[in-house]
Amino acid sequence: MHSVSSHELSLKQRLWNPEARLAYVLMAPTVLFLAAFLFFPIGYVFVMSFFRTNKLSELTEFVGLANYVERLKDREFWETVGRSMVWTATGVVVKSLMGMVIALLLNVEYKGRKVMRMLFIIPWASSVPISALLWQWVYHPEFGLLNHTLKATGIWTNPPTWLGEQLSAFIACMWVDIWAGIPFFALVFLAGMQAIPPELYESGQIDGVNGRQAFRWITLPGLRDLILISTMLSAIWTFNDFNVIYILTRGGPAGATNILTVSVYMNAFVNLKFDKAAVTAVFVFLILTAVSIVYARFYFRKEND
Amino acid sequence: MKWQNRSRWVAIPLTVLILLILLFPFFVMLSTMLKSGQDVYTSPPFWIPTHVEWSNFVTVWTSYDLASYFLASLVIAVGATVLNTLLCVPAAYAVARLNFVGRKAALFLLLMIEMFSPVIVIISLFKIVTRVGLYDTFLSLIIVDALFTVAFNTWMMNGYFKTIPKDIEEAAMIDGCTRVQTITRIMLPIAVPGLVTIMIYAFIFAWNEFLFALSFISSKNLMPLTIGLYNFVGRWTTQWQYLTMAAFLAILPVLCLFYVIEKRLVAGLAGGAVKE
Repeated sequence: MHSVSSHELSLKQRLWNPEARLAYVLMAPTVLFLAAFLFFPIGYVFVMSFFRTNKLSELTEFVGLANYVERLKDREFWETVGRSMVWTATGVVVKSLMGMVIALLLNVEYKGRKVMRMLFIIPWASSVPISALLWQWVYHPEFGLLNHTLKATGIWTNPPTWLGEQLSAFIACMWVDIWAGIPFFALVFLAGMQAIPPELYESGQIDGVNGRQAFRWITLPGLRDLILISTMLSAIWTFNDFNVIYILTRGGPAGATNILTVSVYMNAFVNLKFDKAAVTAVFVFLILTAVSIVYARFYFRKEND
Repeated sequence: MKWQNRSRWVAIPLTVLILLILLFPFFVMLSTMLKSGQDVYTSPPFWIPTHVEWSNFVTVWTSYDLASYFLASLVIAVGATVLNTLLCVPAAYAVARLNFVGRKAALFLLLMIEMFSPVIVIISLFKIVTRVGLYDTFLSLIIVDALFTVAFNTWMMNGYFKTIPKDIEEAAMIDGCTRVQTITRIMLPIAVPGLVTIMIYAFIFAWNEFLFALSFISSKNLMPLTIGLYNFVGRWTTQWQYLTMAAFLAILPVLCLFYVIEKRLVAGLAGGAVKE
Protein backbone atom coordinates (compact mmCIF):
# COMPACT_ATOMS: atom_id res chain seq x y z
CA MET A 1 0.00 0.00 0.00
CA HIS A 2 1.54 3.24 -1.11
CA SER A 3 -0.59 6.03 0.12
CA VAL A 4 0.34 8.98 -2.01
CA SER A 5 0.73 12.27 -0.21
CA SER A 6 -2.59 13.99 -0.38
CA HIS A 7 -1.16 17.27 -1.66
CA GLU A 8 -0.37 15.79 -5.02
CA LEU A 9 -3.92 14.68 -5.66
CA SER A 10 -6.87 16.65 -6.90
CA LEU A 11 -9.91 16.89 -4.68
CA LYS A 12 -11.73 14.42 -6.88
CA GLN A 13 -8.93 11.89 -6.58
CA ARG A 14 -8.86 12.33 -2.83
CA LEU A 15 -12.58 11.77 -2.50
CA TRP A 16 -12.89 9.03 -5.09
CA ASN A 17 -10.02 6.53 -5.17
CA PRO A 18 -10.11 2.78 -4.51
CA GLU A 19 -9.06 3.10 -0.89
CA ALA A 20 -11.60 5.82 -0.11
CA ARG A 21 -14.30 3.89 -1.93
CA LEU A 22 -13.66 0.83 0.23
CA ALA A 23 -13.84 3.01 3.32
CA TYR A 24 -17.19 4.41 2.25
CA VAL A 25 -18.55 0.93 1.61
CA LEU A 26 -17.35 -0.34 4.98
CA MET A 27 -18.78 2.63 6.83
CA ALA A 28 -22.02 2.93 4.92
CA PRO A 29 -24.10 0.54 7.09
CA THR A 30 -23.07 2.29 10.31
CA VAL A 31 -23.56 5.75 8.84
CA LEU A 32 -27.02 4.87 7.51
CA PHE A 33 -27.94 3.21 10.79
CA LEU A 34 -26.87 6.24 12.82
CA ALA A 35 -28.61 8.56 10.39
CA ALA A 36 -31.89 6.70 10.64
CA PHE A 37 -31.97 6.01 14.35
CA LEU A 38 -29.90 8.80 15.87
CA PHE A 39 -29.48 11.87 13.68
CA PHE A 40 -33.00 11.85 12.26
CA PRO A 41 -34.53 11.40 15.75
CA ILE A 42 -32.45 14.31 17.05
CA GLY A 43 -33.70 16.47 14.20
CA TYR A 44 -37.25 15.36 14.84
CA VAL A 45 -37.09 16.33 18.51
CA PHE A 46 -35.95 19.81 17.46
CA VAL A 47 -38.86 20.05 15.03
CA MET A 48 -41.31 18.83 17.64
CA SER A 49 -40.11 21.46 20.09
CA PHE A 50 -41.49 24.16 17.76
CA PHE A 51 -44.97 22.62 17.59
CA ARG A 52 -47.92 21.99 19.85
CA THR A 53 -48.63 18.29 20.18
CA ASN A 54 -51.69 16.28 21.12
CA LYS A 55 -51.83 13.26 23.43
CA LEU A 56 -50.94 10.96 20.56
CA SER A 57 -47.70 12.93 20.09
CA GLU A 58 -48.91 14.27 16.72
CA LEU A 59 -47.80 17.76 15.70
CA THR A 60 -50.88 19.97 15.66
CA GLU A 61 -49.79 23.59 15.34
CA PHE A 62 -46.55 25.44 14.63
CA VAL A 63 -45.88 27.82 17.50
CA GLY A 64 -42.33 28.93 16.88
CA LEU A 65 -40.46 29.54 20.11
CA ALA A 66 -43.58 29.57 22.30
CA ASN A 67 -42.74 26.22 23.92
CA TYR A 68 -39.30 27.52 24.82
CA VAL A 69 -40.65 30.74 26.24
CA GLU A 70 -43.10 28.75 28.34
CA ARG A 71 -40.32 26.54 29.68
CA LEU A 72 -38.04 29.43 30.48
CA LYS A 73 -40.83 31.13 32.44
CA ASP A 74 -41.69 27.96 34.29
CA ARG A 75 -40.33 27.87 37.83
CA GLU A 76 -40.58 24.12 37.97
CA PHE A 77 -38.35 23.83 34.92
CA TRP A 78 -35.62 25.89 36.53
CA GLU A 79 -35.92 23.86 39.70
CA THR A 80 -35.40 20.74 37.63
CA VAL A 81 -32.35 22.27 35.95
CA GLY A 82 -30.95 23.28 39.32
CA ARG A 83 -31.62 19.82 40.74
CA SER A 84 -29.85 18.23 37.78
CA MET A 85 -26.82 20.41 38.41
CA VAL A 86 -26.73 19.64 42.13
CA TRP A 87 -27.25 15.96 41.32
CA THR A 88 -24.38 15.91 38.83
CA ALA A 89 -21.94 17.98 40.86
CA THR A 90 -22.53 16.09 44.10
CA GLY A 91 -22.38 12.77 42.30
CA VAL A 92 -19.10 13.45 40.54
CA VAL A 93 -17.36 14.95 43.56
CA VAL A 94 -18.30 12.14 45.94
CA LYS A 95 -17.62 9.40 43.38
CA SER A 96 -14.21 10.74 42.47
CA LEU A 97 -13.13 11.32 46.08
CA MET A 98 -14.25 7.89 47.21
CA GLY A 99 -12.76 6.36 44.08
CA MET A 100 -9.45 8.02 44.91
CA VAL A 101 -9.49 6.71 48.49
CA ILE A 102 -10.25 3.19 47.30
CA ALA A 103 -7.58 3.37 44.60
CA LEU A 104 -5.01 4.42 47.20
CA LEU A 105 -6.08 1.57 49.46
CA LEU A 106 -5.88 -0.95 46.62
CA ASN A 107 -2.48 0.38 45.60
CA VAL A 108 -1.00 -0.88 48.87
CA GLU A 109 0.59 -4.26 48.31
CA TYR A 110 -0.55 -7.24 50.33
CA LYS A 111 -1.73 -10.76 49.72
CA GLY A 112 -5.33 -10.91 48.60
CA ARG A 113 -5.58 -7.41 47.21
CA LYS A 114 -6.57 -8.77 43.80
CA VAL A 115 -9.59 -10.36 45.43
CA MET A 116 -10.41 -7.06 47.11
CA ARG A 117 -10.16 -5.32 43.76
CA MET A 118 -12.55 -7.82 42.21
CA LEU A 119 -15.04 -7.33 45.02
CA PHE A 120 -14.93 -3.56 44.58
CA ILE A 121 -16.00 -3.94 40.94
CA ILE A 122 -19.32 -5.60 41.77
CA PRO A 123 -21.48 -2.45 42.09
CA TRP A 124 -20.31 -1.29 38.65
CA ALA A 125 -20.58 -4.72 37.03
CA SER A 126 -24.04 -5.34 38.36
CA SER A 127 -27.03 -4.28 36.31
CA VAL A 128 -28.09 -0.80 37.47
CA PRO A 129 -31.87 -1.32 37.15
CA ILE A 130 -31.66 -4.51 39.14
CA SER A 131 -29.38 -2.94 41.74
CA ALA A 132 -31.91 -0.14 42.08
CA LEU A 133 -34.61 -2.72 42.78
CA LEU A 134 -32.40 -4.26 45.47
CA TRP A 135 -31.87 -0.84 47.01
CA GLN A 136 -35.59 -0.29 47.10
CA TRP A 137 -35.79 -3.30 49.39
CA VAL A 138 -32.75 -2.20 51.39
CA TYR A 139 -34.40 1.20 51.99
CA HIS A 140 -37.72 -0.34 53.05
CA PRO A 141 -38.75 1.61 56.20
CA GLU A 142 -40.13 -1.32 58.14
CA PHE A 143 -38.59 -4.53 56.83
CA GLY A 144 -35.44 -3.12 55.21
CA LEU A 145 -32.12 -4.13 56.67
CA LEU A 146 -30.54 -0.70 56.29
CA ASN A 147 -32.61 1.08 58.90
CA HIS A 148 -32.53 -2.00 61.07
CA THR A 149 -28.73 -2.08 60.94
CA LEU A 150 -28.46 1.66 61.58
CA LYS A 151 -30.67 1.32 64.65
CA ALA A 152 -29.17 -1.91 65.94
CA THR A 153 -25.61 -0.61 65.78
CA GLY A 154 -26.64 2.70 67.29
CA ILE A 155 -25.21 4.64 64.34
CA TRP A 156 -28.56 6.32 63.77
CA THR A 157 -31.37 5.61 66.20
CA ASN A 158 -34.03 7.46 64.26
CA PRO A 159 -33.32 7.05 60.52
CA PRO A 160 -35.72 8.57 57.96
CA THR A 161 -38.17 6.60 55.79
CA TRP A 162 -35.66 6.99 53.00
CA LEU A 163 -37.80 7.14 49.87
CA GLY A 164 -40.79 8.71 51.59
CA GLU A 165 -39.46 12.17 52.44
CA GLN A 166 -38.23 14.81 50.04
CA LEU A 167 -34.69 15.41 51.25
CA SER A 168 -33.98 11.82 52.26
CA ALA A 169 -35.34 10.53 48.93
CA PHE A 170 -32.92 12.77 47.05
CA ILE A 171 -30.06 11.58 49.22
CA ALA A 172 -31.13 7.95 48.87
CA CYS A 173 -31.28 8.17 45.06
CA MET A 174 -28.03 10.12 44.96
CA TRP A 175 -26.33 7.46 47.01
CA VAL A 176 -27.40 4.63 44.70
CA ASP A 177 -26.08 6.56 41.70
CA ILE A 178 -22.84 7.31 43.55
CA TRP A 179 -22.55 3.73 44.75
CA ALA A 180 -22.74 2.38 41.20
CA GLY A 181 -20.22 4.96 39.95
CA ILE A 182 -17.48 4.65 42.56
CA PRO A 183 -15.80 1.52 41.11
CA PHE A 184 -15.20 3.21 37.77
CA PHE A 185 -13.13 5.94 39.42
CA ALA A 186 -11.39 3.49 41.71
CA LEU A 187 -10.30 1.28 38.81
CA VAL A 188 -9.26 4.14 36.55
CA PHE A 189 -7.25 5.86 39.29
CA LEU A 190 -5.68 2.59 40.37
CA ALA A 191 -4.63 1.84 36.79
CA GLY A 192 -3.21 5.34 36.56
CA MET A 193 -1.27 4.97 39.81
CA GLN A 194 0.23 1.74 38.62
CA ALA A 195 1.38 3.43 35.43
CA ILE A 196 3.43 5.98 37.39
CA PRO A 197 7.09 4.92 37.25
CA PRO A 198 8.17 3.54 40.67
CA GLU A 199 11.50 5.35 40.29
CA LEU A 200 9.70 8.61 40.99
CA TYR A 201 8.64 7.34 44.39
CA GLU A 202 12.07 5.83 45.04
CA SER A 203 13.86 9.08 44.36
CA GLY A 204 11.23 10.85 46.42
CA GLN A 205 12.01 8.55 49.29
CA ILE A 206 15.71 9.32 49.06
CA ASP A 207 14.80 12.98 49.33
CA GLY A 208 12.89 12.19 52.52
CA VAL A 209 9.41 12.75 51.13
CA ASN A 210 6.56 11.49 53.34
CA GLY A 211 3.45 9.68 52.12
CA ARG A 212 1.25 12.73 51.95
CA GLN A 213 3.86 14.72 50.05
CA ALA A 214 4.36 11.84 47.65
CA PHE A 215 0.64 11.85 46.95
CA ARG A 216 0.56 15.59 46.44
CA TRP A 217 3.68 15.94 44.29
CA ILE A 218 3.98 12.58 42.50
CA THR A 219 0.64 10.75 42.43
CA LEU A 220 -1.73 13.65 41.76
CA PRO A 221 0.32 15.22 38.93
CA GLY A 222 0.70 11.75 37.41
CA LEU A 223 -3.05 11.31 37.40
CA ARG A 224 -3.88 14.76 36.05
CA ASP A 225 -5.12 13.75 32.60
CA LEU A 226 -6.98 10.75 33.96
CA ILE A 227 -8.75 12.85 36.54
CA LEU A 228 -9.89 15.25 33.82
CA ILE A 229 -11.12 12.52 31.48
CA SER A 230 -12.85 10.41 34.08
CA THR A 231 -14.51 13.43 35.69
CA MET A 232 -15.96 14.53 32.38
CA LEU A 233 -17.17 11.02 31.56
CA SER A 234 -18.70 10.61 34.97
CA ALA A 235 -20.36 14.02 34.79
CA ILE A 236 -22.09 12.99 31.59
CA TRP A 237 -23.13 9.60 32.97
CA THR A 238 -24.40 11.09 36.22
CA PHE A 239 -26.31 13.80 34.40
CA ASN A 240 -27.82 11.11 32.14
CA ASP A 241 -28.92 8.83 34.92
CA PHE A 242 -32.53 7.82 34.57
CA ASN A 243 -32.82 4.25 35.83
CA VAL A 244 -31.98 4.81 39.48
CA ILE A 245 -34.46 7.64 40.00
CA TYR A 246 -37.22 6.18 37.88
CA ILE A 247 -37.08 2.87 39.69
CA LEU A 248 -36.74 4.25 43.21
CA THR A 249 -39.05 7.29 43.18
CA ARG A 250 -40.19 8.16 39.62
CA GLY A 251 -39.09 11.73 40.41
CA GLY A 252 -41.08 12.01 43.63
CA PRO A 253 -42.02 12.59 46.35
CA ALA A 254 -43.46 15.93 45.20
CA GLY A 255 -40.78 16.30 42.53
CA ALA A 256 -37.90 16.08 45.00
CA THR A 257 -35.87 13.76 42.76
CA ASN A 258 -37.07 15.08 39.42
CA ILE A 259 -34.00 15.75 37.25
CA LEU A 260 -34.03 16.67 33.54
CA THR A 261 -33.79 13.16 32.12
CA VAL A 262 -36.60 11.89 34.32
CA SER A 263 -38.76 14.89 33.50
CA VAL A 264 -38.40 14.24 29.74
CA TYR A 265 -39.74 10.73 30.20
CA MET A 266 -42.48 11.63 32.66
CA ASN A 267 -43.72 14.57 30.55
CA ALA A 268 -43.82 12.45 27.43
CA PHE A 269 -45.05 9.06 28.53
CA VAL A 270 -46.95 9.78 31.74
CA ASN A 271 -48.36 13.31 31.30
CA LEU A 272 -48.49 12.94 27.48
CA LYS A 273 -47.15 16.49 27.07
CA PHE A 274 -44.80 15.71 24.21
CA ASP A 275 -44.02 19.31 23.25
CA LYS A 276 -42.94 20.06 26.80
CA ALA A 277 -40.80 16.92 26.82
CA ALA A 278 -39.26 17.80 23.44
CA VAL A 279 -38.09 21.22 24.66
CA THR A 280 -36.52 19.64 27.72
CA ALA A 281 -34.87 17.02 25.50
CA VAL A 282 -33.38 19.79 23.37
CA PHE A 283 -31.96 21.39 26.52
CA VAL A 284 -30.45 18.08 27.55
CA PHE A 285 -28.99 17.73 24.07
CA LEU A 286 -27.38 21.18 24.15
CA ILE A 287 -25.87 20.66 27.60
CA LEU A 288 -24.52 17.22 26.71
CA THR A 289 -23.14 18.38 23.39
CA ALA A 290 -21.21 21.17 25.06
CA VAL A 291 -19.59 18.79 27.54
CA SER A 292 -19.02 16.13 24.89
CA ILE A 293 -17.12 18.53 22.68
CA VAL A 294 -14.78 19.39 25.53
CA TYR A 295 -14.31 15.71 26.33
CA ALA A 296 -13.84 14.62 22.73
CA ARG A 297 -11.31 17.37 21.99
CA PHE A 298 -9.29 16.52 25.07
CA TYR A 299 -9.36 12.78 24.44
CA PHE A 300 -8.60 13.27 20.76
CA ARG A 301 -5.58 15.44 21.38
CA LYS A 302 -4.15 12.91 23.78
CA GLU A 303 -4.70 10.02 21.38
CA ASN A 304 -2.93 11.84 18.59
CA ASP A 305 0.03 13.01 20.65
CA MET B 1 7.91 1.37 49.35
CA LYS B 2 8.50 2.03 53.03
CA TRP B 3 5.45 4.20 53.70
CA GLN B 4 3.38 1.63 51.86
CA ASN B 5 4.53 -1.20 54.12
CA ARG B 6 3.65 0.78 57.16
CA SER B 7 0.25 1.71 55.77
CA ARG B 8 -0.75 -1.89 55.18
CA TRP B 9 -2.15 -2.22 58.68
CA VAL B 10 -4.33 0.78 58.11
CA ALA B 11 -5.25 -0.13 54.56
CA ILE B 12 -6.59 -3.63 55.09
CA PRO B 13 -9.15 -2.89 57.83
CA LEU B 14 -10.25 0.27 56.03
CA THR B 15 -10.63 -1.62 52.75
CA VAL B 16 -12.74 -4.28 54.45
CA LEU B 17 -14.92 -1.63 56.09
CA ILE B 18 -15.60 0.16 52.80
CA LEU B 19 -16.30 -3.16 51.12
CA LEU B 20 -18.84 -4.05 53.80
CA ILE B 21 -20.63 -0.77 53.11
CA LEU B 22 -20.50 -1.03 49.32
CA LEU B 23 -21.60 -4.66 49.17
CA PHE B 24 -24.40 -4.08 51.67
CA PRO B 25 -27.27 -4.49 49.16
CA PHE B 26 -25.77 -7.76 47.97
CA PHE B 27 -25.60 -9.06 51.53
CA VAL B 28 -29.26 -8.11 51.84
CA MET B 29 -29.95 -9.94 48.58
CA LEU B 30 -28.18 -13.10 49.73
CA SER B 31 -29.98 -12.99 53.06
CA THR B 32 -33.46 -12.35 51.62
CA MET B 33 -33.33 -14.78 48.72
CA LEU B 34 -33.16 -17.77 51.03
CA LYS B 35 -35.81 -16.63 53.49
CA SER B 36 -39.39 -17.82 53.76
CA GLY B 37 -42.19 -15.35 53.06
CA GLN B 38 -42.87 -15.10 56.75
CA ASP B 39 -39.25 -14.28 57.58
CA VAL B 40 -39.19 -11.55 54.94
CA TYR B 41 -42.08 -9.72 56.53
CA THR B 42 -40.99 -9.93 60.12
CA SER B 43 -40.32 -6.70 61.98
CA PRO B 44 -37.66 -6.05 63.08
CA PRO B 45 -35.88 -7.80 60.20
CA PHE B 46 -32.92 -10.12 60.74
CA TRP B 47 -30.00 -11.41 58.66
CA ILE B 48 -29.95 -15.19 59.05
CA PRO B 49 -33.08 -17.02 57.81
CA THR B 50 -34.79 -19.11 60.50
CA HIS B 51 -34.61 -21.93 58.03
CA VAL B 52 -32.98 -21.79 54.63
CA GLU B 53 -35.67 -21.91 51.96
CA TRP B 54 -33.83 -23.58 49.07
CA SER B 55 -37.13 -24.06 47.28
CA ASN B 56 -37.12 -20.33 46.39
CA PHE B 57 -34.58 -21.23 43.76
CA VAL B 58 -37.15 -23.49 42.09
CA THR B 59 -40.25 -21.40 42.75
CA VAL B 60 -38.96 -18.41 40.76
CA TRP B 61 -38.82 -20.62 37.67
CA THR B 62 -42.03 -22.58 38.20
CA SER B 63 -44.47 -20.02 39.64
CA TYR B 64 -43.18 -16.91 37.89
CA ASP B 65 -42.28 -15.97 34.34
CA LEU B 66 -38.57 -15.83 35.04
CA ALA B 67 -37.75 -18.27 32.22
CA SER B 68 -39.64 -16.10 29.76
CA TYR B 69 -37.82 -12.95 30.95
CA PHE B 70 -34.47 -14.70 30.66
CA LEU B 71 -35.24 -15.90 27.16
CA ALA B 72 -36.37 -12.42 26.09
CA SER B 73 -33.21 -10.82 27.53
CA LEU B 74 -31.09 -13.43 25.82
CA VAL B 75 -32.71 -12.99 22.41
CA ILE B 76 -32.51 -9.20 22.63
CA ALA B 77 -28.92 -9.15 23.88
CA VAL B 78 -27.65 -11.67 21.34
CA GLY B 79 -29.49 -9.91 18.53
CA ALA B 80 -28.14 -6.52 19.56
CA THR B 81 -24.62 -7.94 19.88
CA VAL B 82 -24.67 -9.46 16.41
CA LEU B 83 -26.10 -6.34 14.78
CA ASN B 84 -23.68 -4.11 16.68
CA THR B 85 -20.64 -6.19 15.72
CA LEU B 86 -21.62 -6.34 12.06
CA LEU B 87 -21.85 -2.55 12.02
CA CYS B 88 -18.81 -1.70 14.13
CA VAL B 89 -16.09 -3.97 12.80
CA PRO B 90 -16.10 -2.82 9.15
CA ALA B 91 -16.48 0.82 10.17
CA ALA B 92 -13.66 0.48 12.69
CA TYR B 93 -11.39 -1.04 10.06
CA ALA B 94 -12.11 1.86 7.75
CA VAL B 95 -11.23 4.55 10.30
CA ALA B 96 -8.23 2.62 11.59
CA ARG B 97 -6.58 1.68 8.31
CA LEU B 98 -7.92 3.48 5.29
CA ASN B 99 -7.16 6.97 4.08
CA PHE B 100 -10.16 9.02 3.19
CA VAL B 101 -11.36 12.57 3.51
CA GLY B 102 -13.22 13.08 6.77
CA ARG B 103 -11.52 10.27 8.70
CA LYS B 104 -10.63 12.50 11.61
CA ALA B 105 -14.06 14.09 11.64
CA ALA B 106 -15.60 10.61 11.79
CA LEU B 107 -13.44 9.67 14.77
CA PHE B 108 -14.31 12.89 16.54
CA LEU B 109 -18.01 12.37 15.94
CA LEU B 110 -17.78 8.85 17.33
CA LEU B 111 -16.27 10.16 20.56
CA MET B 112 -19.06 12.68 20.84
CA ILE B 113 -21.96 10.35 20.35
CA GLU B 114 -20.39 7.91 22.78
CA MET B 115 -21.83 10.22 25.46
CA PHE B 116 -25.27 10.50 23.96
CA SER B 117 -28.29 10.32 26.24
CA PRO B 118 -31.05 7.92 25.16
CA VAL B 119 -33.61 10.21 26.78
CA ILE B 120 -33.06 12.84 24.07
CA VAL B 121 -34.34 10.59 21.31
CA ILE B 122 -36.78 8.42 23.24
CA ILE B 123 -39.82 10.35 21.95
CA SER B 124 -38.68 10.26 18.32
CA LEU B 125 -37.67 6.63 18.48
CA PHE B 126 -40.99 5.75 20.06
CA LYS B 127 -42.76 7.42 17.15
CA ILE B 128 -40.57 5.72 14.56
CA VAL B 129 -40.99 2.34 16.19
CA THR B 130 -44.77 2.60 16.35
CA ARG B 131 -44.98 4.05 12.83
CA VAL B 132 -43.07 1.20 11.19
CA GLY B 133 -44.92 -1.43 13.19
CA LEU B 134 -42.05 -2.43 15.46
CA TYR B 135 -43.79 -1.52 18.71
CA ASP B 136 -43.86 -4.45 21.11
CA THR B 137 -41.31 -6.51 19.16
CA PHE B 138 -37.85 -7.79 20.04
CA LEU B 139 -36.50 -6.16 16.89
CA SER B 140 -37.23 -2.66 18.20
CA LEU B 141 -35.05 -3.31 21.25
CA ILE B 142 -32.37 -5.08 19.23
CA ILE B 143 -32.05 -2.00 17.03
CA VAL B 144 -31.89 0.61 19.78
CA ASP B 145 -29.68 -1.50 22.04
CA ALA B 146 -27.23 -1.97 19.17
CA LEU B 147 -27.46 1.76 18.44
CA PHE B 148 -26.21 3.02 21.77
CA THR B 149 -23.02 0.99 21.77
CA VAL B 150 -22.07 1.63 18.13
CA ALA B 151 -19.93 4.67 18.85
CA PHE B 152 -18.00 3.24 21.78
CA ASN B 153 -17.47 -0.15 20.15
CA THR B 154 -16.32 1.29 16.83
CA TRP B 155 -13.89 3.46 18.74
CA MET B 156 -12.61 0.50 20.78
CA MET B 157 -12.22 -1.70 17.71
CA ASN B 158 -10.46 1.10 15.86
CA GLY B 159 -7.96 1.23 18.70
CA TYR B 160 -7.49 -2.51 18.49
CA PHE B 161 -6.91 -2.59 14.75
CA LYS B 162 -4.36 0.20 15.09
CA THR B 163 -2.21 -1.92 17.40
CA ILE B 164 -1.81 -4.59 14.68
CA PRO B 165 1.37 -3.87 12.66
CA LYS B 166 0.68 -2.79 9.08
CA ASP B 167 3.47 -5.07 7.77
CA ILE B 168 1.38 -8.15 8.44
CA GLU B 169 -1.36 -6.88 6.20
CA GLU B 170 1.02 -5.65 3.52
CA ALA B 171 2.77 -9.01 3.41
CA ALA B 172 -0.55 -10.76 2.90
CA MET B 173 -1.45 -8.41 0.08
CA ILE B 174 1.86 -8.97 -1.63
CA ASP B 175 1.08 -12.69 -1.41
CA GLY B 176 -2.05 -12.02 -3.43
CA CYS B 177 -4.72 -11.52 -0.82
CA THR B 178 -7.32 -8.91 -1.66
CA ARG B 179 -8.08 -6.20 0.86
CA VAL B 180 -11.26 -7.94 1.99
CA GLN B 181 -9.39 -11.24 2.38
CA THR B 182 -6.75 -9.61 4.54
CA ILE B 183 -9.52 -8.28 6.76
CA THR B 184 -11.31 -11.58 7.19
CA ARG B 185 -8.28 -13.92 7.20
CA ILE B 186 -5.57 -11.86 8.85
CA MET B 187 -6.97 -8.93 10.79
CA LEU B 188 -10.04 -10.46 12.40
CA PRO B 189 -8.29 -13.56 13.80
CA ILE B 190 -5.62 -11.34 15.36
CA ALA B 191 -8.25 -8.97 16.69
CA VAL B 192 -10.26 -11.65 18.48
CA PRO B 193 -9.57 -10.21 21.98
CA GLY B 194 -10.87 -6.84 20.82
CA LEU B 195 -13.82 -8.51 19.16
CA VAL B 196 -14.66 -10.36 22.37
CA THR B 197 -14.49 -7.10 24.31
CA ILE B 198 -16.90 -5.19 22.11
CA MET B 199 -19.30 -8.13 21.86
CA ILE B 200 -19.45 -8.58 25.62
CA TYR B 201 -19.88 -4.85 26.06
CA ALA B 202 -22.80 -4.80 23.60
CA PHE B 203 -24.31 -7.85 25.29
CA ILE B 204 -24.08 -6.36 28.79
CA PHE B 205 -25.54 -3.06 27.64
CA ALA B 206 -28.55 -4.76 26.06
CA TRP B 207 -29.01 -7.11 29.02
CA ASN B 208 -29.13 -4.16 31.43
CA GLU B 209 -31.14 -1.79 29.26
CA PHE B 210 -34.27 -0.47 30.97
CA LEU B 211 -35.64 2.74 29.42
CA PHE B 212 -36.39 1.44 25.93
CA ALA B 213 -37.72 -1.86 27.16
CA LEU B 214 -40.03 0.10 29.44
CA SER B 215 -41.28 2.22 26.53
CA PHE B 216 -41.38 -0.23 23.62
CA ILE B 217 -42.67 -3.48 25.16
CA SER B 218 -46.15 -4.08 26.49
CA SER B 219 -46.70 -7.84 26.08
CA LYS B 220 -45.78 -9.80 29.15
CA ASN B 221 -44.21 -12.63 27.17
CA LEU B 222 -41.79 -10.22 25.43
CA MET B 223 -40.55 -8.49 28.56
CA PRO B 224 -36.83 -8.75 29.33
CA LEU B 225 -35.52 -9.26 32.85
CA THR B 226 -35.15 -5.60 33.78
CA ILE B 227 -38.80 -4.83 33.05
CA GLY B 228 -40.08 -8.19 34.25
CA LEU B 229 -38.46 -7.72 37.63
CA TYR B 230 -39.48 -4.06 37.80
CA ASN B 231 -43.12 -5.02 37.30
CA PHE B 232 -42.73 -7.63 39.98
CA VAL B 233 -42.41 -4.92 42.62
CA GLY B 234 -45.29 -3.32 44.37
CA ARG B 235 -48.34 -4.74 42.66
CA TRP B 236 -49.28 -6.80 45.69
CA THR B 237 -47.13 -7.16 48.72
CA THR B 238 -43.87 -7.78 46.92
CA GLN B 239 -42.50 -11.27 47.46
CA TRP B 240 -39.00 -10.01 48.09
CA GLN B 241 -37.53 -13.46 48.63
CA TYR B 242 -38.41 -14.30 45.01
CA LEU B 243 -37.43 -10.92 43.64
CA THR B 244 -33.99 -11.04 45.28
CA MET B 245 -33.52 -14.61 44.05
CA ALA B 246 -34.44 -13.53 40.52
CA ALA B 247 -32.15 -10.50 40.83
CA PHE B 248 -29.29 -12.76 41.88
CA LEU B 249 -29.84 -15.00 38.85
CA ALA B 250 -30.18 -12.01 36.51
CA ILE B 251 -26.99 -10.32 37.72
CA LEU B 252 -24.81 -13.41 37.73
CA PRO B 253 -24.22 -13.76 33.95
CA VAL B 254 -23.35 -10.08 33.39
CA LEU B 255 -21.13 -10.05 36.45
CA CYS B 256 -19.06 -12.91 35.04
CA LEU B 257 -18.88 -11.31 31.60
CA PHE B 258 -17.87 -7.96 33.09
CA TYR B 259 -14.78 -9.49 34.68
CA VAL B 260 -13.63 -10.63 31.24
CA ILE B 261 -13.60 -7.14 29.75
CA GLU B 262 -13.10 -4.95 32.82
CA LYS B 263 -9.42 -4.11 32.20
CA ARG B 264 -9.85 -3.34 28.52
CA LEU B 265 -12.98 -1.35 29.29
CA VAL B 266 -11.12 0.86 31.75
CA ALA B 267 -8.29 1.36 29.27
CA GLY B 268 -10.75 2.18 26.50
CA LEU B 269 -12.67 4.67 28.59
CA ALA B 270 -9.66 6.42 30.04
CA GLY B 271 -7.76 6.76 26.79
CA GLY B 272 -4.03 6.43 26.28
CA ALA B 273 -3.27 7.35 29.88
CA VAL B 274 -3.78 3.80 31.14
CA LYS B 275 -2.17 0.55 30.08
CA GLU B 276 -4.24 -2.60 29.77
